[in-house]
Amino acid sequence: MGKIIGIDLGTTNSEVAVMEAGKPTVIKSAEGQPFFPSVVAFTKDGEMLVGEAAKRQAVTNPEGTIHRIKRKMGSGEKVKAAGKSYSPEQISAFILQKIKKDAEEYIGEKIKDAVITVPAYFNDDQRQATKDAGKIAGLNVKRIINEPTAASLAYGLDKEGDHKIAVYDFGGGTFDITLMEVGEGVFEVLSTNGDTQLGGSDMDKALVDFFAKEFQKNHNIDLRKDPKALQRLYEAAENAKIELSSTLQTDINLPYVTVIDKEPKHLEMKLTRAKLEEIISPFVEDTEQPCKQALKDAKLKPSDIDSIVLVGGTTRIPLVRKKVEEIFGKPPKRDVDPMECVAVGAAIQAGVLSGDIDKDIVLLDVTPLTLSIETLGGVSTSLIDRNTTVPTKKSKIFSTAADNQTSVDINILQGERPMATDNKSLGRFHLDGILPAPRGIPQIEVTFDIDADGILNVAAKDLGTGKEQSIRITGSTKLSDEEITKMKKEADDHAEEDKKRKEKVEIRNNGDAMVHTTQKTLEELKDKFSKEDKESLEKGLKELREALSGDDIDKIKEKTDELSKVLQKASAAIYQQAAQQYQQQQQSTDSKDDSKEESWSGKPDGDDKTIDADFKVKDDKKKSDKKD
Amino acid sequence: MNMSTTEPTGKKKHSSNKKSVNLEKEIEQLRNEIKENKNQLLRSIADFQNYQKRMEKDLKLKEEEIKRKYLSELMDINELLKKAYEDNNPKNGLKLIIENIEKFFEKEQLKSIECIGKKFDHNLHHAVSTLEKENCDDDIIVEEVKKGYMINEKLLRPSHVIVAKKKEK
Repeated sequence: MGKIIGIDLGTTNSEVAVMEAGKPTVIKSAEGQPFFPSVVAFTKDGEMLVGEAAKRQAVTNPEGTIHRIKRKMGSGEKVKAAGKSYSPEQISAFILQKIKKDAEEYIGEKIKDAVITVPAYFNDDQRQATKDAGKIAGLNVKRIINEPTAASLAYGLDKEGDHKIAVYDFGGGTFDITLMEVGEGVFEVLSTNGDTQLGGSDMDKALVDFFAKEFQKNHNIDLRKDPKALQRLYEAAENAKIELSSTLQTDINLPYVTVIDKEPKHLEMKLTRAKLEEIISPFVEDTEQPCKQALKDAKLKPSDIDSIVLVGGTTRIPLVRKKVEEIFGKPPKRDVDPMECVAVGAAIQAGVLSGDIDKDIVLLDVTPLTLSIETLGGVSTSLIDRNTTVPTKKSKIFSTAADNQTSVDINILQGERPMATDNKSLGRFHLDGILPAPRGIPQIEVTFDIDADGILNVAAKDLGTGKEQSIRITGSTKLSDEEITKMKKEADDHAEEDKKRKEKVEIRNNGDAMVHTTQKTLEELKDKFSKEDKESLEKGLKELREALSGDDIDKIKEKTDELSKVLQKASAAIYQQAAQQYQQQQQSTDSKDDSKEESWSGKPDGDDKTIDADFKVKDDKKKSDKKD
Repeated sequence: MNMSTTEPTGKKKHSSNKKSVNLEKEIEQLRNEIKENKNQLLRSIADFQNYQKRMEKDLKLKEEEIKRKYLSELMDINELLKKAYEDNNPKNGLKLIIENIEKFFEKEQLKSIECIGKKFDHNLHHAVSTLEKENCDDDIIVEEVKKGYMINEKLLRPSHVIVAKKKEK
């Protein structure tokens, strides 16, 4: 079965959402907005536009543009545009078609079915008209649900047992209050009320008027008459509203807002939250009466309401939330985006209908803590990170840390600390029989595999010989909450010192690797280095070895860097030499020498370096010490 | 008769035995298959969830990276503007600052939308109002209220414009 989308078919804007992997996702329009303006237009060229494009051209084409068609749904009234007449169902269908098309683009498959929301006060005709609009748009409307019901679903209120809900929907242009009762997942509307001429845009206008009047006091000019300035005032009002939702004061700065007598003027003003609230308060107060009426109609007291759900962008304003709390005597819920919650609820309903929700009841465990193995210098190297969903399998290739090392010790660790000793050891085993080889050459694949029951299988395989060892650890995901919290807290508490310790080990490991590389390079290329380079390499090597035998980390770092520079310089000299030779060969075009050059550059040296970075093993530190 | 009856039933019994052994084998095989499929399914779901987690993380990192890039450009501009503010004759400095900003826009493939004198196009322009005008064709843009921009040939924001309406005589 295909996806079913949930559509909030609104008066000014519409939204659409869909369930994806058990989570509702709001779909963006092709224009990149999380909503679709509910506007349809027919241009003089006979083109039909829907959404953003229709809105952009609205003032140039008032006769051909249709707004707020939702108000006419089910009325049987026709609307005229560009000389043709359309039913409200047809116009709504154009909006739904655009939504369908953009949603298909997003999801990547054809959409046949939808759940569409309508206001709770819609009568049967209006609901049927909405259904018909879906049909005309090529959508099979699986269900029409009430907007407040959808909003409640977005908050999961259907699962909270019998109770009463107030849905306070304050949008850009309208205000609706709906009281509902929910029991056994069924929602019943008790009463509705509202004001179709009250919304956030009234507040914006009041704010703009305030800015303009303040400016007029000082400059004696009405900014609202200048369309450029007016546009900026509206933007400033919008920003101030958002800003003052989290701060108590904001600056309204509009440089070069207008020009008076060839002199540019700037608007500079401070706006406090208190002043903003004074300006918008009349509109907020106007929502109280409908709420009281709705309570009266439902024969309820404010204290009978168990939860309050907020819908619409205007409810983001702190004063509005305060008012709601004042009316109902308890704070409203606010963790779902009020602009999106109706579409989200519709998508949840759609998910239930398509079985998407039930399917996701496959609840999978996660690994509570990181699983790693101990590597050179006692460092924890992670294989499976904390919070990974199981069952899962991860492999990493490791190598030896010493020449001729024939066995590796695999110590399996659990915890967030970077050093092995600070983490919990879940078990350990040896893998023997590795063929003697220079360090970094053997390839040992370590695999962590956690099955759905939380059983961890760790296997180590020598890719050279095919030899394998493994261990089975039960209960790696079963830790008590206290244990997890304790281990995480420890990791946080020690984060700084742990980092330092790990750095120390890394510096030491780098030093060890540098000694090894230099030694090897010296042996293999002894004839190619100049006498001076060879001497400085040997000197650097000696100094680094001395540093490594001590505990002065800074010194080890310094000597490692020094030796690295010397080695680079010496190698560069060899390359230059080789390049010169190559040029000479090129001139004599000797193909045999060419191939010689290739095999030279393909020496294990190069390989050594790449693997080295990865590598280490535990008990060879001793071995290499012995060897040295 | 006895023989003839027992023989076929014996055969039957034998074959039904064989059949049930086969069936049991098949059931066992199917059971294993189901187990294997279930395991595969769970692993795919887990893989998907882990992939989602990783994508979320990557997205956050990416966001931070982009933020860092644009904020550091903005910080540099801010420093320069402060210097210009201290300058008694800032015109030359400001000219260079603007040039730098425009160079940055260009590098980011940001292009401003030309509109004055052009015919209104809903793909590029947003009409904020109309202006009655004589000697002017309908839908010609007469004023730009806010500059619009394209990025990589895609609309970043439309130009906000005032459009001419032919004055009815």
